[in-house]
Amino acid sequence: MTAILLILLLFPLTGGVLNAVVGRLLPRRASEVIACLGVLGALGMAVIALILGGRDTYHLTFFPWIKVGDLSAAMDVYYDPLAAVMILMVTFVSSLIHLYSVAFMRDDRDYVRYFCYLNLFVFAMLVITLADNLLFVYLGWEGMGFCSYALIGFWYQDEVNANAGRKAFICTRIGDVSFSIALAFCFVLLHSFSISQINAQASSLSPYLATLLSLLLLGAAVGKSAQLPLTVWLPDAMAGPTPVSALIHAATMVTAGTFLLMRLFPVVQMSPTAMLVMAGVGAVTTLYAGAAALAQWDIKRMLAYSTISQVGYLFLAVGAGDIVGGTFHLVSHAFFKALLFLAAGCVIQALAEEHNIFRMGNLRRLMPQVYWLFLAGAVSLSAFPLLGGYFSKDRILLATFMHPELAYKVLWFIAVVAAFLTPLYTFRVFFVAFSKRADGRRAADIHPIPKFMAAVLWPLAILALGDGLLNLPGGIGKNFLGNFLAMVPGARPDLGASSALEWSMGIFSAFLVIASLILAYFLYSYRPAREPAMVGLHKMLCSAFYLDNLYRLIFVKPYQAMAGFLWRDVDNRYDRGLVKGAKALFRPYRAMAVFLWLKIDEICLNEGAMKAAGGLKVLSSGLGRWTSGRLSTYLTMLFLGLAIFFGVLALGYPW
Amino acid sequence: MLQFPILSLIVFWPIAGSFFVLTCFRSPRLVRWVSLGVTLMELSLVASLLFLNLHPQAGPVGTWLLQEDYPWIAWLGARYSLGLDGVSLMLILLVAFINVLCVLISWEAITDKVGSFFFFILFLEGTLAGLFLANDLLLFYLFWEIQVIPMFFLLGIWGHENRIHAALKFILYTLGGSLLMLIALIALYVLHGQQTGIYTFSVYQLMQHAPFGHVTEILLFAAFLLAFGIKIPLIPVHTWLPDAHTEAPTAGSVDLAGLLLKTGVYALFRFAIPLFPSAAKLLIPLLLTLAVGGLFYAAWIALVQTDIKRLVAYSSISHMGMIIIGVALWNFITLNGAILQLVNHGLSTSALFIMVGMLDERIHSRQFADLGGLWGRMPVYSAFFLFFALSSLGLPGLNNFVGEILILIGTFKERPIIAILGFSGIVFGVIYILRMVQDAIFGEVRKEHVLWDINYREGVILVSLALAVLFVGLHPGPVLKILEHPVQAMVGPSGHLAMGR
Amino acid sequence: MVTIVPYSHVLILAASLFVLGAGCAIARRNLIMILIGVEIMLNAAGLACIGAAMRWQQLDGQAFVIFIMAVAASEVGVGLSLIVYSQRRTGTLDADRYDLMKG
Repeated sequence: MTAILLILLLFPLTGGVLNAVVGRLLPRRASEVIACLGVLGALGMAVIALILGGRDTYHLTFFPWIKVGDLSAAMDVYYDPLAAVMILMVTFVSSLIHLYSVAFMRDDRDYVRYFCYLNLFVFAMLVITLADNLLFVYLGWEGMGFCSYALIGFWYQDEVNANAGRKAFICTRIGDVSFSIALAFCFVLLHSFSISQINAQASSLSPYLATLLSLLLLGAAVGKSAQLPLTVWLPDAMAGPTPVSALIHAATMVTAGTFLLMRLFPVVQMSPTAMLVMAGVGAVTTLYAGAAALAQWDIKRMLAYSTISQVGYLFLAVGAGDIVGGTFHLVSHAFFKALLFLAAGCVIQALAEEHNIFRMGNLRRLMPQVYWLFLAGAVSLSAFPLLGGYFSKDRILLATFMHPELAYKVLWFIAVVAAFLTPLYTFRVFFVAFSKRADGRRAADIHPIPKFMAAVLWPLAILALGDGLLNLPGGIGKNFLGNFLAMVPGARPDLGASSALEWSMGIFSAFLVIASLILAYFLYSYRPAREPAMVGLHKMLCSAFYLDNLYRLIFVKPYQAMAGFLWRDVDNRYDRGLVKGAKALFRPYRAMAVFLWLKIDEICLNEGAMKAAGGLKVLSSGLGRWTSGRLSTYLTMLFLGLAIFFGVLALGYPW
Repeated sequence: MLQFPILSLIVFWPIAGSFFVLTCFRSPRLVRWVSLGVTLMELSLVASLLFLNLHPQAGPVGTWLLQEDYPWIAWLGARYSLGLDGVSLMLILLVAFINVLCVLISWEAITDKVGSFFFFILFLEGTLAGLFLANDLLLFYLFWEIQVIPMFFLLGIWGHENRIHAALKFILYTLGGSLLMLIALIALYVLHGQQTGIYTFSVYQLMQHAPFGHVTEILLFAAFLLAFGIKIPLIPVHTWLPDAHTEAPTAGSVDLAGLLLKTGVYALFRFAIPLFPSAAKLLIPLLLTLAVGGLFYAAWIALVQTDIKRLVAYSSISHMGMIIIGVALWNFITLNGAILQLVNHGLSTSALFIMVGMLDERIHSRQFADLGGLWGRMPVYSAFFLFFALSSLGLPGLNNFVGEILILIGTFKERPIIAILGFSGIVFGVIYILRMVQDAIFGEVRKEHVLWDINYREGVILVSLALAVLFVGLHPGPVLKILEHPVQAMVGPSGHLAMGR
Repeated sequence: MVTIVPYSHVLILAASLFVLGAGCAIARRNLIMILIGVEIMLNAAGLACIGAAMRWQQLDGQAFVIFIMAVAASEVGVGLSLIVYSQRRTGTLDADRYDLMKG
């Protein structure tokens, strides 16, 4: 099992590294094949692991990483049914996206970089899914953050894209601060980074500490999954290539947050407060994003807000204590959202980078395959009765409603309103973009796209429509997924609802969806819709209640202004002040030096020395007269000397 | 003691090499190859220490892996005493490695007075090795002062436009602090001598002094702290660093950031804190405030720099703030993290300066206004740039993450608020690093230049740095093992700052 | 009894002669006169030697005077020949004119 999981992780990693190092030297096909093999191999390994592992739980160690004293972070793996489901979903959807990308990026010259990052992204997600040690999770977490930055800002030549990538990285990093504090907390309280050990010791946490820890984890999840208050990066992240949006926003990154909470559910469970907060965040975000999606004119932005909304459901599920429902909806969402994104990608490429739905139209006739695919996805997203997301969403609503606390009923209501909005905004886009319109597109506008791109989406469509079978509330496939996940800590395969409640909820949801569909039809299809003016309510919804502008106002601008202030007025002035101060200190020193030089050195010492030298000159010229060259002088001096000599002798002689 | 004085050889081989290089000054080619040979030899000497299977041995100057102790100035009580333990081993390994890279990076960049340039580089290398090995306060002080001189000349002669100003600032700041340290040193010497009757500069013996008066201890520690704080640098005595880093030639910046800053931190935890534990304990809040303040302040300022080298200089100050948090907390985990982070910072910041230097060689400008969109023109360079920027960011799997996480998690136990502040600091880090990356290699091309991608020599430098970064990031085990014993010795059995012995 | 001349008288005479000779050597400008002065000085020294021989009743003094006379004679011969030569060279016997060594 160790070998299988190790190979599973190594496949995308090797693919990414190979592409990074030698990708440019290989022919294009080879590089693409490496990338696709990277993920397909992982898929194969995931299937094998599932077959071999079944419902068992494995703890495996790959590699000791950091060990200092009692702080130990090894690259450990915790493979349980939850992880099994996740890696299967991730590898399957990623493989399809890789294959799609081969066709999508056919005209792009930077494909090596693209595939390298795509593989590394999948690797990072797999690490998060499998890791047992929280620091190892953090490695995948940050790695994913970086890869998303690189992929969102892939077409870096345009500042807008690079900025979007940067925004994503910074926002998720804010969540990561929360994560790292949670890490430190875990270590200090429970002396371990290992998820399994933390879960085992969870019951020893006091409610207060458990709340704190859960809220910190929630903070981390909110950053990664783009829930309130950190939703702002996700709509802008649509600047990246569409397959990237599909990967990040459908299958992987946004689900990582929920996944973390599900893994550490025993800890979260200890704190009802935190669970309420979690559910609250989820519900409010669902409604918020749903409302915002109603006003979007960019097809990808609608899907982005839709993602935020659906992930809100996941948070609601975890908050209501239903891991099985959460996982179920997670998998459903991955299928239909990826389908929607990739179909939208087909449309966008066919119409030469047109994102505005109001400039589309007539696509049913012009692109029939994509029409059906998009319809399949839209229907699943709307939770149309008996298809696609119906069962998963229904289960979450049921779990929320069944929760004993009153507050959850309120949240249930909010979620129901959002459930009403979902088909509305989905089919708004669907009708506007695809249905017959007088001012719609003509055949000449369609650029041909490879058939492969659409063909790859059919498996997704089938899965999206039929995934209700995974966990039917009754009948043959009753709680299939639920039973599979039974051993996961905190999972409840069966919610234990009465038959009557289940049926009434189911019918109520169906009724809601159909009503919403009828409303959408009347609003958007009965009469051809025109692009509304960007004022008032419409503008507010489109810009998601001005949250982005708010953040820019209270965080971004002051931060930059403060930076400028600190640099110019503080550091620069301080530095110049210091220099001035030093120079001022230096002035008396210099003055003293000048004084010493001019007054003392020049005048006294120098002059004195010169005068002394002059005196010596006189002396020497005087003495020089003895060398007159005259015999008489010499003789005189000779005798004089003799006289002195004898005189001294005479005086000294002891008479 | 080992029979062969390998430690002295490690210290004096580069110095001897430097003088030899000076004699070859007529032929720049010969100068470069000889310097490369000298530095590679030094690297192998230091690396050989790793394979000698050393064990801590007690000796007259404490417990070391290797020690050399000879009388020097007997009447003063100063001995020529070198000692190697795990910490110094890692640091001299860093010194040797970085200096090889310095020689390689200056290969084509320096064309004027080549002989003198490499003389100063090699001389600096020897001095630094001596500084990290010195066991005797006077010997340490000698090396501490001498290291400034080659740096001053490197800055002043081969620097950029504003070099004289930067060099003067550098030398005045450093020497000003050292002056105070000298006074404190002499005071310590005298006080210790009066107390025990033995006048000595040996650190081992001085560490065992009974506490002097409370105020005296604080004053002495403060003087040491000031001198080392200027080097580290701690705010508010950091203003020499941006100028010095920006105006220095590439090898000078690499030496300065990669090595000279480490000397300050090393001296802090090797000498200042162990010599005056009670005073240190009292001043820890001050140290933490300055460190955390520096972390945020420098990261904030780095955002609005127009000069890319200046941005990296401010990032240095920010990283150092993190390291000082680790040192100030003084428990086993944070000290391990701090020392590891010293090595990490040496690697990643040197890498960033090297990359900026390569850019300077091509564009002859360091302004962001002249950069932009480099990925299209120099993909390999940009990939490395991104890699090292990520390492500076603290991406897990790369080196800085290991050090930072150790420091912060170790801090969380005792002072959770500081840890939370430290964690928040990583957001600030992201902001300026991403700005640097975006304005340099992404975005649109702001100015057309003649560019060429990295050649083999530059490739060797970058690949070796990248491998080192990955190694420490993914497999820090061996490094942590080397550090384990000396850090344990420093921390003591109580796991905290011992209040005198 | 033979009256012996007191040695001091001899010495005084020799000294005066010496001084006179020295004065002649110094004060005169003519080379030959300087030579004469030197002669007188030599003779004075010889006189002193004779007196010494008488005083100590030893013949060494007398012998010494013979030596002095011989030396003086040869020295005069050499000196005079030098003077004649230099007279021919420079055309003058004025000592003050030989000042090539003037420094």
